[in-house]
Amino acid sequence: MKADSDTIAAIATAPGEGAISVVRVSGPGSLEIADRIFRCRGPLPSQRAGGSFVYGYVIHEGTVADEGLLLIYRAPRSYTREDSIEIQGHGGSAASQRILRAILDAGARPANPGEFTQRAFLNGRIDLLQAEAVLDLIRARSDRAAAAALDQMEGRLSRIFGLMYDRLLRLAAEMEATLDFGDEELPPTILQDVALRLQAVEQEMALVLSTWGEGHLLREGALVVIGGKPNVGKSTLLNSLLGTQRAIVNQVPGTTRDTIEEHMVIDGYPVRIVDTAGLRDTDCEVEGEGIRRARHSIQKADILIYMMDASGEVDEEDLAALRAKDEGHTIILANKSDLAISESIRSYMTKTTVIACSLVRNEGIAEIKQRIADQLKSQSSSIHHSAISERHRKILVLAIKDIQEALLILRDKDAEIPLASSHIRSALEHLGEANGRVYHEELLQNIFSRFCIGK
Amino acid sequence: MQYEVIVVGAGHAGCEAALAAARMGATTALITLQSQAIARMSCNPAVGGIAKSHIVCEIDSLGGEMARNTDYTGIQFRTLNTKKGPAVQAFRVQCDKDAYSLRMQAVVRAAPNLSVIEAAVDGLQCHSGRVCGVVLNDQSVIQANTVILTTGTFLRGMIHIGAKQYPGGRNGEPAVPNLSLQLRQMGFRIGRLKTGTPPRIRKESIAWEKLSVQPGEEPPSFFSDEVRQEQMFHVEHCESGSSLESSCGRSGQALFHVEQSALRPWSPGWCQVPCYITHTTTETHAIIRENLSKSSMYGGNITGTGVRYCPSIEDKIVKFADKDSHHVFLEPEGRTHPDIYPNGTSNSLPEDIQERMIRSIPGMERAVFSKWAYAIEYDFCDPTQLFHSLESKIIEGLYMAGQINGTTGYEEAAGQGFLAGVNAVRKCRGLNSWTLSRTESYIGVLIDDLVTKGTNEPYRMFTSRAEYRLLLRQDNACFRMLPHAKEIGIVGSEVLNRWQRQAQEIRTEIARLEKTASQAGTLAQMLRRTGVSYADLNGALPLDSKVVEQVEIEVKYAGYITRESQQALKLQQIDSQLIPNWINYDSIQTLRYECREKLKRLRPESIGQAARISGVTPADIAILAIVIKRGEGTR
Repeated sequence: MKADSDTIAAIATAPGEGAISVVRVSGPGSLEIADRIFRCRGPLPSQRAGGSFVYGYVIHEGTVADEGLLLIYRAPRSYTREDSIEIQGHGGSAASQRILRAILDAGARPANPGEFTQRAFLNGRIDLLQAEAVLDLIRARSDRAAAAALDQMEGRLSRIFGLMYDRLLRLAAEMEATLDFGDEELPPTILQDVALRLQAVEQEMALVLSTWGEGHLLREGALVVIGGKPNVGKSTLLNSLLGTQRAIVNQVPGTTRDTIEEHMVIDGYPVRIVDTAGLRDTDCEVEGEGIRRARHSIQKADILIYMMDASGEVDEEDLAALRAKDEGHTIILANKSDLAISESIRSYMTKTTVIACSLVRNEGIAEIKQRIADQLKSQSSSIHHSAISERHRKILVLAIKDIQEALLILRDKDAEIPLASSHIRSALEHLGEANGRVYHEELLQNIFSRFCIGK
Repeated sequence: MQYEVIVVGAGHAGCEAALAAARMGATTALITLQSQAIARMSCNPAVGGIAKSHIVCEIDSLGGEMARNTDYTGIQFRTLNTKKGPAVQAFRVQCDKDAYSLRMQAVVRAAPNLSVIEAAVDGLQCHSGRVCGVVLNDQSVIQANTVILTTGTFLRGMIHIGAKQYPGGRNGEPAVPNLSLQLRQMGFRIGRLKTGTPPRIRKESIAWEKLSVQPGEEPPSFFSDEVRQEQMFHVEHCESGSSLESSCGRSGQALFHVEQSALRPWSPGWCQVPCYITHTTTETHAIIRENLSKSSMYGGNITGTGVRYCPSIEDKIVKFADKDSHHVFLEPEGRTHPDIYPNGTSNSLPEDIQERMIRSIPGMERAVFSKWAYAIEYDFCDPTQLFHSLESKIIEGLYMAGQINGTTGYEEAAGQGFLAGVNAVRKCRGLNSWTLSRTESYIGVLIDDLVTKGTNEPYRMFTSRAEYRLLLRQDNACFRMLPHAKEIGIVGSEVLNRWQRQAQEIRTEIARLEKTASQAGTLAQMLRRTGVSYADLNGALPLDSKVVEQVEIEVKYAGYITRESQQALKLQQIDSQLIPNWINYDSIQTLRYECREKLKRLRPESIGQAARISGVTPADIAILAIVIKRGEGTR
């Protein structure tokens, strides 16, 4: 067995805002890519010895993307036993994403999950014990997948890709039918019909792609939702966390009728923070819709910050809202602790962790941020996905290109269906890669597909 | 007498198997219930059609007989999918069914090393897991190193007409009762399938003037390379004294073009006979609907699974209830044969209903029946118990081909038969098995699908089953098969050399077009434009038409062909990673239980094949690959 001869790249450092981030590249084209994107004093990277490093700038589209160190490894003295480079740039996802983009544009392709390890294995770098460990890891991972608890965002993407795959597969089948059966056996408008529906699929994919920008991805981060009954200080918390006056703060309960979303970075993690309408029974239609959305947000939240009034009662409504979420995904606040803490809250605090805070006095904000960061850290594998997304993005781009080619062919009245069909099959292959629904060429690449990326 | 190869059954699979074996020099016996039934067209009198045509061309290029036999006995020639590009273009030829069988009989009799034995086979004789002969129904034994079963619908065949059912292998022929029972005892998984055939109607009872005509095309398109070549300078005559006829031993009887004396000089494809088209009416549908419960299929007598893509007329009316008319093609069974084959009316209704139903179709109001339609159920063997060589995994030296493997169609049968025949000989000679890959042939796709995925309905070939459709065209079959044809050695060296030379010329000319500049870009770029043909190019060379055709296609579709070639290469790579014999799936605890069971049952030959098994995930393959890699390291 031999590893592929192309060059792969991925961000190797863990998510979060560390001091540095490392982007790793492996494959025969590594040094050539380094020459193309890395400016440094002295000889070109490819002229340098393995095991050396040099300071310089990563250049992308004519501008400096980042500054940092370039480490050079020459085969077989690298993790993968191939020529490799690593670029240590500034910490934070944005900087490492820019470096990755530069590398990909210079000719590498995004690594599949676990592909570095796969290459290390295939090139004989990993020994038997390590191979055993890999087996166990694959097993552990698929067990978790079976428990359906894996990875929220990846799950969402897979679903989207799965739906597109199914629709495309149906269209492909209809198109193929025109090749294998006589015209008299098929509806006369079948091809026009296929073309129309194909266009719809293409538009849908283009829409998914357009919401994919780098900034969006970074903002996509973790979803933190502030929930609770009306007038417990949810909007105040949002403003305190942001340090701005984003939400209208008003004494009248029910002021926030829609969900309000803001983005911030907490301890290096990109976070989408959502303020929701207070949960209560209401006859007001607009407010009712707000509450419905609030419930929806709470359901999707990576972290729910549930707020109660320290002087109020813990009632069934609160408990029901809290039951909807796992403990590891919930932070409970008792606000207005400067006033008085009721018996009900006190007894509740003996059973579970509740942070007492007084937002008007700015007390407890630091503790809340710390708790958010702690929880994000423990859940981090399910939150940060920019690298996986980069792979998905590329797949989507390729699939759209194929569908457009197919549409172009179908527009011709003497269309050669096998050619259009060839593009649709290719699009299916691309989409299938995201879902593991195509075995063939991605077989060995898929070997460690449930394995952490960049390693 | 000890044979190297025994072939049981002389249908389309059996004939190819026996001829291939004999032509490779193996002493071969072809056992059939009756020798006049050799290569009988039990159902439609046609060869080819979409995707099947590709198989026929591949058989021809490898040295099989089906293509030649069809071309010499064809009475109507057509090309299908003409507007859909070269990848899916296909030939379909109506044959004179008697001539087809007679010519094949003559070829079989003329073949060296090949004996035809009229007998009924009752079982196999095996010794310590290896086949060593067959047992006839008189309990006598014929010894052989290898046995190929090509039993068609004969294994416990049961014919159904309405409520009537009786054992039979085919219309008027007895079933084979014991063989499949023995196979089951040996550990083969036996299933039941169903197929059917329409009634046959007397030609003179049809009102032709009411029907639309479907003529053949001129000039006719031939499957066979030899016929295409020979037409120029040689005619396969059937006059007395010709070698074919004398070897046939039937003096005075013309072989395959009964009235050829009137057409002298005769050559293949001359004087074609048209088909006619009619259609079912609302009355037809009403008759079928009212009598559905009397059909053996809908009345519940049949348990076997039918052909989804070649449905009975009952099926069509039930499943496509919104259509109030279906086409019926009236195909002549021969030039002078008294019957026509009403394609599209296969059913298992009682005789009186068949008569009313057929007579409700325009042109057949006074139809006279010469044979009733019937459905037939038969045993087949789960093909996942076979290797890609079509040798069984359970009994060494035992091969199976055709309907016994769950396929339907003459062409599918013939392709398997040829491959099984070659492999039986190679087994005798101690050579490794010869297989075809999905990336190079439709026969390869067919066999890989069968042995990897199995089937639970009669398997028919489609172009959509092939991943690399732009590569696997019927027009380039001889070039795709060239290395195999050389290896097998049936095709004459003169022909092989011609193909070799043409292949070289094609490569050279494409390279020249790619680098020769013309007024706007290279010549290749010019040729890629719509409507431009090779002859239009400035500097076109006087190459032969086959070379020109290939150059045009390869250049015009270069982008697609390159892409598919790259994909095919990747598949070949994983298919070449063989799973070693020492593998013990039970010891790989990391594999999921379900997957372990599947792998144990199917015993895939390569990592690629394992990956194509449904339900085996990439993670399973990963584990398998690592176990093999680790095992190789320690061995």
